[in-house]
Amino acid sequence: MPVQDERQSVGFRVGPVGILCNPASGKDIRRLTARASVFDNQEKLAILRRAMQGAVAAGAREFLYVPDSHDIASTAVEEVLGQADIGCEIVAKPVDAPQTDSALDTTRGARAMRDAGCAVAITLGGDGTNRAFTLGWSDAPLIPISTGTNNVFPRLIEATIAGAAAGLLATGRLPLGEVATRAKTITVEVEGESPDCALIDAVLTSDRFVGSRALLDPSRLRALLLTRAEASGIGMTAIGGLIDPLSDDDNGGLLIEFGKGGFRVRAPIAPGHHEAVDIRSIRRVELGEPVEFQGLGMLAFDGERERLLKRDQRATLRVGRDGPWVIDVDRVHTRAARAGWFRMDASA
Amino acid sequence: MAAATDQATREIPYVKAITEGVQQSLHEFPEAFLAGEDVAVAGSVFGIYKGLLAEFGEKRIVDTPISEAGIVGLGVGAAATGLRPILDIMFMDFLGECMDEVANQMAKMRFMFGGKAKLPVTVLMMGGAGMSMAAQHSQSLEAWLCHLPGLKVMMPTTPYDAKGSIIAAVREENPIFVILNKLSLGITGPVPEEPYAIPIGEAIIRREGSDISVVAIGRMVHEALTAAEELAKDGISLEVIDPRTVQPFDTATVIASVQKTHHAMIVHEAVRFAGIGGEIAAQIQEEAFDYLDAPVARLGAPFAPVPYSPPLEKAYMPDAKRIAATARETLGR
Amino acid sequence: MADGPSNEVLLDIHERMVRIRIFEEEAGKLMENGKVPGALHLYVGQEAVAAGVMAHLSDADQITSTHRGHGHVVAKGGQFKEMYAELYGRVTGYCKGMGGSMHISNFDIGILGANGIVCGGPPIAVGAAFSNKYRETDQVAVTFFGDGASNEGAFHEAANMAALYKLPCLFVCENNGFGEYTSQKRHQAIRDVADRAAGYGMPGVIVDGMDVIAVYEAAGEAINRARRGEGPTLLECKTYRFYDHVGVRGMGIDYRSDDEVKEWKQRDPIKLLEDRLAEQDVLSNDDAAAVHERVRSEAMEAIAWADASPYPAVENLLDDVYYNGE
Repeated sequence: MPVQDERQSVGFRVGPVGILCNPASGKDIRRLTARASVFDNQEKLAILRRAMQGAVAAGAREFLYVPDSHDIASTAVEEVLGQADIGCEIVAKPVDAPQTDSALDTTRGARAMRDAGCAVAITLGGDGTNRAFTLGWSDAPLIPISTGTNNVFPRLIEATIAGAAAGLLATGRLPLGEVATRAKTITVEVEGESPDCALIDAVLTSDRFVGSRALLDPSRLRALLLTRAEASGIGMTAIGGLIDPLSDDDNGGLLIEFGKGGFRVRAPIAPGHHEAVDIRSIRRVELGEPVEFQGLGMLAFDGERERLLKRDQRATLRVGRDGPWVIDVDRVHTRAARAGWFRMDASA
Repeated sequence: MAAATDQATREIPYVKAITEGVQQSLHEFPEAFLAGEDVAVAGSVFGIYKGLLAEFGEKRIVDTPISEAGIVGLGVGAAATGLRPILDIMFMDFLGECMDEVANQMAKMRFMFGGKAKLPVTVLMMGGAGMSMAAQHSQSLEAWLCHLPGLKVMMPTTPYDAKGSIIAAVREENPIFVILNKLSLGITGPVPEEPYAIPIGEAIIRREGSDISVVAIGRMVHEALTAAEELAKDGISLEVIDPRTVQPFDTATVIASVQKTHHAMIVHEAVRFAGIGGEIAAQIQEEAFDYLDAPVARLGAPFAPVPYSPPLEKAYMPDAKRIAATARETLGR
Repeated sequence: MADGPSNEVLLDIHERMVRIRIFEEEAGKLMENGKVPGALHLYVGQEAVAAGVMAHLSDADQITSTHRGHGHVVAKGGQFKEMYAELYGRVTGYCKGMGGSMHISNFDIGILGANGIVCGGPPIAVGAAFSNKYRETDQVAVTFFGDGASNEGAFHEAANMAALYKLPCLFVCENNGFGEYTSQKRHQAIRDVADRAAGYGMPGVIVDGMDVIAVYEAAGEAINRARRGEGPTLLECKTYRFYDHVGVRGMGIDYRSDDEVKEWKQRDPIKLLEDRLAEQDVLSNDDAAAVHERVRSEAMEAIAWADASPYPAVENLLDDVYYNGE
């Protein structure tokens, strides 16, 4: 076991494990247009429950959850607490945040978790969910579990292990800085309106309406700013990734202007869809370097149409390294294993 | 009343007559198709559609899931949009599974839409007891269907009528049920090779007689004919009427017969209470009261589900013996 | 040039929504004032669903509707006069006064009937879709039903058959959160009816049923898929009925809070669309108001016409029980 004074040093966190599940993720029109995976609510419930069990096994005893319209988190909590063989005292409480059955619940839930002193948060959802989360708690120690196929930010990872990592973190046994990396974000200042953010990509399209949110037609893409350009990614990230890969570890971003006059790239812009996209220009941008998008157009963040940029209205975008601390679950377990924390006395 | 059957034809069993009726209907109407459980690959559990899949292919001979409501709903929707479905719901006991589609959709659609819908749907199903199929596979539920305005119901008793009823039903522009009889599948009789339809709503006199009119429903026609043969030896003459269609009901043929014989008996395999015998008896007393020399007799099953055990099942169903005894009692002879 | 639905389509969708709203508001008044008999289940609040879907359909495409069916009929092209006359039980109504509110139909424009039986429509729509495939047309059959209907056995049978036969069919679940007076939480263990789609082997999609453009986009994808012969889709639209289960004020049953209703009304689908159309200079507020006014005067005229129409004659009661030749 680590010594008590280590726990007090910078980077160690002790507190409840925060749990947030977006009931709406993995259900939108991309199930139809792209045959993207469906994560039904039973599956989300099961994932959440396994994550909690993993966290309990790693020593977590206190949880805070964000109530959702589909009662997924509360049901998972109820099921874990009701388990006859749980073998320890668990406390799990809802955060105090009003429910609107919209993305606002995620943002407010994240803020409430932060205010309540959560040591680490587990999110279930896609890029959009984590974007909404980041709007509420930008520097959260975070384990994002993917519930979808169209995601870059959260990972497809077994929930039991993700939960165990959260448990190891929340009991103050590992310094966050050693097992987590701060994610890049795009901060978006919109002239005369409230600011916004994106974790992976910010896009300007020629759509007029938010509508079903998904980016359905590549011919409507006008400009794209990426924090990551993953060659083996899916969606907007792949467009950049197949030309000039840029990882999360690399500083800076990648800016693409779409249109004729340059070259074409064939990229998987959605699950099941490789499309040829016209690239007029592409260049790296520095951290903090302002990039301008100008209306009329639709701003899409992390794969979803979000808000209208009115005629001649300007949005200033900057890539920064000021997002959540994304916990590397493998690194957590490797460190814990090397420290011998999983060995038990065989005679006991 | 219809003319008696042309006798100079080949004889085939009831089961084959059904197949031929469906087969010729499918030839007659390109918009007709057969859908139901096990109708295609299996050719029906009763063997009534053997060979149709090979002849017409999967587009027109459609195996369905075990989904009676789905089958009837599919038929209603298909008929409303220009097709001419022939639906099979196997045992008529399965009506319970699809009664909403039958009673609330199929039967009422035309009326409640102000005459706009035309639903040429034929539903084939197998009724009747006698094979130890027990309470859920042996019922005679024609009264359920006769109570629903908008539907027509036929109950063919001979191979000739089986084929002719099906062809008539498929040509019909209203929803129509053809209740076949599983115990009659092996009965043989003359069946012309060419397509023909028996008139819907016309009874046939299976045997002329002078002492008592016996209205026999479904398979009871054969029991009544046996009883008539037996009683003839004692000089008692039964007139056996086979209504063939129970909705609409050919009251005129029955009344004319009663006016001649002055006695009436109705026999059906269905439970006697609230069976269609009650309706027929009421019509006779309304229209021929002055001609009656005795109360109208009714024979039917006791008020119990169909039993499984063979001796009980035999006792449950009316038969020639009971028909004869009831005739004697009514006639006082 | 901006992309997405054209101005023409947007104005058409707007008109359909306004027509539904005004038809229903006036119908509600008629019922509450005792002018029309029977029970009316009003569609107010759910307009985006009918309008967003119907904008993709031609007269040849079929729909089946529900007890809350006026909206579907109006959006599919039902005329006010014949509809109000039907509510009045007059011979000039779509069903000659024989059907009333819950059975308005018009086969000429593909309306295979509203339906008084919860989940009455889906099996029939599957039959129509079967017919479309059999006749090798490009028609699509759309069935509207609610969260409550998704608990009926007939829904499962219909959905299974549609997927099994890969029929050109669209299942539109209007999840308004209630089966009559029972909230979804109290009538099914799931919250997303779309989750059921996987169980039948078809895609299930959820869309914001208060946002008509979202509905329009999603329905378009699903309908095109059906027309291409790729099979059915279950499209769940999250929506809300602003009025009661029956009528406007309803029966005074305490089953949902005023706050809940108020919250949903803030997302009034017509208001949402009008705000966006004004923002995009497609339709100014004044022009939108003019549409309302024009439609309302058409409604008033239709009501007067319906009210002046004769009742069906008693001697014609049996005319349409059976088809007897035209």
